[in-house]
Amino acid sequence: MSKTVLQFATLFVGMLLAQLICNRICLFGVAVPIVFIYFIIRLPMNLSVNWVMCLSFMLGLFVDIFENTQGMNALSATLLAAGRKTVFSLYFPREDDLGNPVPSIRSLGLAVYVKYMATSVLLYCVAVFLIQSFSLGHIGITFLRIISSSILTVLILLGFDSIATTRRREKRL
Amino acid sequence: MKNLFDFIIKHSSWFVFLFFAAMSCLLLFQNNPYQHSIYLTSANAVSSSIYGLFNNVTSYFHLRGINEDLQERNAMLENEVVSLRNEINNYKMLVPDTNAVPKEYQNFDFVIAHVISNSISQPYNYVTINRGEADGILPEMGVVDQNGVVGIVNVVGKHSARIISLLNPNLRLSCKVKNSDFFGSLVWDCLSPQYAVLEELPRHVEFANGDTIITSGYSTVFPEGLIVGTIEGKMPTNDDNFYTLKIKLTTDFSRLSTVRVIRNSMKEELVALEAADYNSKDKGGRK
Repeated sequence: MSKTVLQFATLFVGMLLAQLICNRICLFGVAVPIVFIYFIIRLPMNLSVNWVMCLSFMLGLFVDIFENTQGMNALSATLLAAGRKTVFSLYFPREDDLGNPVPSIRSLGLAVYVKYMATSVLLYCVAVFLIQSFSLGHIGITFLRIISSSILTVLILLGFDSIATTRRREKRL
Repeated sequence: MKNLFDFIIKHSSWFVFLFFAAMSCLLLFQNNPYQHSIYLTSANAVSSSIYGLFNNVTSYFHLRGINEDLQERNAMLENEVVSLRNEINNYKMLVPDTNAVPKEYQNFDFVIAHVISNSISQPYNYVTINRGEADGILPEMGVVDQNGVVGIVNVVGKHSARIISLLNPNLRLSCKVKNSDFFGSLVWDCLSPQYAVLEELPRHVEFANGDTIITSGYSTVFPEGLIVGTIEGKMPTNDDNFYTLKIKLTTDFSRLSTVRVIRNSMKEELVALEAADYNSKDKGGRK
């Protein structure tokens, strides 16, 4: 139990630092990688939704403090945390069948995991970019940002997963 | 009470969600000026339309009272006009009018405008004001402020106008030394926003440093006698027949706020006259 808590605490700090680096990236002037939500996506499914929201809000708030965008990421992260379980049940209706409560390629299978991750990322991007533009005046560019940032983020998060899987294999060897 | 607690515990996630969402929104609107402005504007639009609706209905109830007030005030002002007219007539009989406005100034009237954008650091500077076509502003009208000449209207929009500032080498202003009839042309040398250069002033003109430079009135834009600046000193020149003078401008371009746009009621007549004169000369030349 304490090992899992420590692991997630490290992930929390790691994702926060990774996001601070990613904040400086803006591909083609539209695509921004939002990697810190990997923490929210990876939180165990049996964790109470109140805890998930609390942790997500805190993580979003920390990102906001560093980015000077008070409230934007905190609100979007809270929304993602609230909708996470619904998104998960879309692709994996029988939660009891889940062996390991932590969503991963191994526990869900690649297809379900990617679908779950992509939907969560899209949900987050829609929330954060709509809050950022705060009007439907520039809907075209907002839509472009949402799509490009979602694709970039999903690719990077899959990269994180592949690093984690490779490490585990190396350990076993 | 127990039921209430049960309800709260059962739906605790909703309360937690609402709490965090409210916190985020509070942070969002308090600390982000863009979102703050949009929130405020839309809120204002809603509240102002509601107030407008109320006002549309309630204003009719007060019309009777307002009408009576206006009647009273009208009567009072009429009395005042009559008494003042009598007073003026008495004075006219006693002494001749010494304070009358000279006739040449009566062609000009002013439109008050506020400066909404201004630059002094560019090589070609412009000023924008909040009056436009709807307020009777037309291109090539002169603009002054309380200290002196500001520039000439260049482009006119519906409710705004762009002025070529005196700090723009494209503007050449016909000026003369006060109390003399010889004129030169004032132009900015792109150096300091406080100084300009008066060129082509004949050598035999007598002047001293500190003398006032005024508009010559040889155009339809500015009336004669508007203060432009004071002489700071001579400048080296290659031309032996003319002086070039350094002029300290009286207008403080870094602090422009309220300006007056000069309307010349005789302008059309003068322009038509000049055009006719030019045409007749042209025809004469051809002959």
